[in-house]
Amino acid sequence: MSQIFTSPNPIGKKVLCVEDEHFISELYVRALTKAGYEVTVEVDGQRGLELAQSDQYDIILLDLMVPTITGIEVLRHLRNTTETPDLHAKIIITTNLEQREDIRSDIEKQADGYLVKAEITPRELVDFLSTIN
Amino acid sequence: MNHIQKYIAQFQNRIALLLMLNSIFIIGGYWLIADLVRPNLFFSNQAIATSIILVFIAFLSIILLSWVGSKTLSKPMQQVWQAVLHISPDTANTPSPDLTKLGFGRELVTTLITHVYQLASIVDNVEKLAASKTHDLKSDFVANSLPLPMVVLNKDTDILFANEAMLKYLGREEADTVGQNVYLLLDMLFTNEHTFDNWLEKARADKVTSIRTWERVRLNLPEKKETRYFDLVAYYNKNNPDGFEIMMVLFDRTRQYSQDDQAMSFVALAVHELRTPLTLLRGYIDVFEEELEGKLDTEMTGFMHKMKAAAQQLSAFTTNVLNVARYENDQLVLKLHEEAWTPLLKGAVKDMELRARVRGIKLTLNIDNDLPAIGADAVSVHEVVNNLLDNAIKYSSEGKEIIIRSYKTQDGSVETTIQDFGRGIPETAMGNLFDKFYRDYHNRTQVGGTGMGLFLSKAIVTAHGGNIWVRSKEGQGSTFGFTLMPYSELADELKKGDNADITRTAHGWIKNHSMYRR
Repeated sequence: MSQIFTSPNPIGKKVLCVEDEHFISELYVRALTKAGYEVTVEVDGQRGLELAQSDQYDIILLDLMVPTITGIEVLRHLRNTTETPDLHAKIIITTNLEQREDIRSDIEKQADGYLVKAEITPRELVDFLSTIN
Repeated sequence: MNHIQKYIAQFQNRIALLLMLNSIFIIGGYWLIADLVRPNLFFSNQAIATSIILVFIAFLSIILLSWVGSKTLSKPMQQVWQAVLHISPDTANTPSPDLTKLGFGRELVTTLITHVYQLASIVDNVEKLAASKTHDLKSDFVANSLPLPMVVLNKDTDILFANEAMLKYLGREEADTVGQNVYLLLDMLFTNEHTFDNWLEKARADKVTSIRTWERVRLNLPEKKETRYFDLVAYYNKNNPDGFEIMMVLFDRTRQYSQDDQAMSFVALAVHELRTPLTLLRGYIDVFEEELEGKLDTEMTGFMHKMKAAAQQLSAFTTNVLNVARYENDQLVLKLHEEAWTPLLKGAVKDMELRARVRGIKLTLNIDNDLPAIGADAVSVHEVVNNLLDNAIKYSSEGKEIIIRSYKTQDGSVETTIQDFGRGIPETAMGNLFDKFYRDYHNRTQVGGTGMGLFLSKAIVTAHGGNIWVRSKEGQGSTFGFTLMPYSELADELKKGDNADITRTAHGWIKNHSMYRR
């Protein structure tokens, strides 16, 4: 089940973090709530998709290797306009898995951002999110 | 040809001679008879002159009549011959004979010539038939002995012809292939938006002929329950009279591409496994740094920085491992865009600042103001700077300085140099410094590293159209330099090509967030 973490000093923005590595989500939650975001963490791809489709988030952090359905499939469903007409959230891929160039550029085209988790610290993630919204 | 004309001339001469002799005999006979009936007619004195004139006139008329007669008699033959010349391919400019002027033997000549013409058209047809037959046989033979699958399509992209290799490839019979739409039979997946139908649409709009190749096209064959990869060559020909508008030839590369995928996925998975704990390490160090700021003494702060720098270095290393794997698999792709070099270089240097600082090395930046915009793959050149700086830091000793300079060269490109005052490189090692995994023997024990950095940097710089070089003196330090081309020069190249941007084979997938662009 998803878990919601509120911020002590909210800025009124909601982040959905689809991530199955608990330690990573813990780090991201810490940095994000500190920066004023309310963060919902979901470990499962299918449930993550359902939450995303409720369109209550401003930012979706999407890991590609998650259970039930992969992040790539979640992304595809979210970008399908008949299924998800106007999603207002920005979708940021956060992954450590490298794709083949063609697959990667295809993902990049559909997403609003693509980050390699090993190359950024949680605080750098916060900095990045502040630049896209 | 000539001997026939000669023969006709001879024929004409003989007839003339015959007519002449005939006339002489007739006149001579008449003269003898007349002499018998009226003696002395020609021998009386006053008659001699008259006789001579008469004989002369008689001869003249004989010659004239013979000539006209022979001409008339040989005319039909000449007409027939002219007809033959008219239909002969070598002398086709000979006009067809005009039969209206022909009096004698017109009917015969007309019939003969009609037959000649008929015969000629039959021969012609037979020749054409034979030629087309050999053409068909030849093209069928070529197409079917071609081991590459091939299809020919009409304007509606329906299949007009599929060779045996194609039928085998698809696992179909000719009867249920020919006439089908190619998109129904070939469910092709392309690596980018430059697909076959995009090309076809463009070719139809503004090209007469066009040829294009695609690599790594994926094909799903549900009937055979398999996925295949091929490279594709397609040829478009507008308004082909035979209705062959498009020709497609497939080069199956399934074995190679799936092997590449497996090799890549092993490295990708290994790197993924390395990256997960690395992400955590960096994340928790980040937390510590934030929480402990101001609470640690100088020594502990130094340790913290060293830990952070080490984690950063490990992250860069895993990226290098991936890059080499990609490079070896021809999957390193560079996308060159117009970039301002100064902020890019500053960003890359800033990334290395902590690593230099924990080793007590000072980085000095010296960038000229008038640098033109460069054509670069931002992420890749960032890596080049990081790799060169990483080397400079490794081979420098504590307390030294590293000077980074960037300026415009005489030929207009942008050169960047990284100068260290470390131990330098022995002359014997200079030649193969940029080779894969080369590390100088005496450095091997003293300094860590895999030697991948320079190898990759060279690959990236070369793919940008630039040069990478080194100057070094043992004991005094080394200067590494590389050039990048101004965007204006690449822009010219862009105009020449069809591509929206220049894509070159070499790296390009680590996206550093600070350089993220959409």
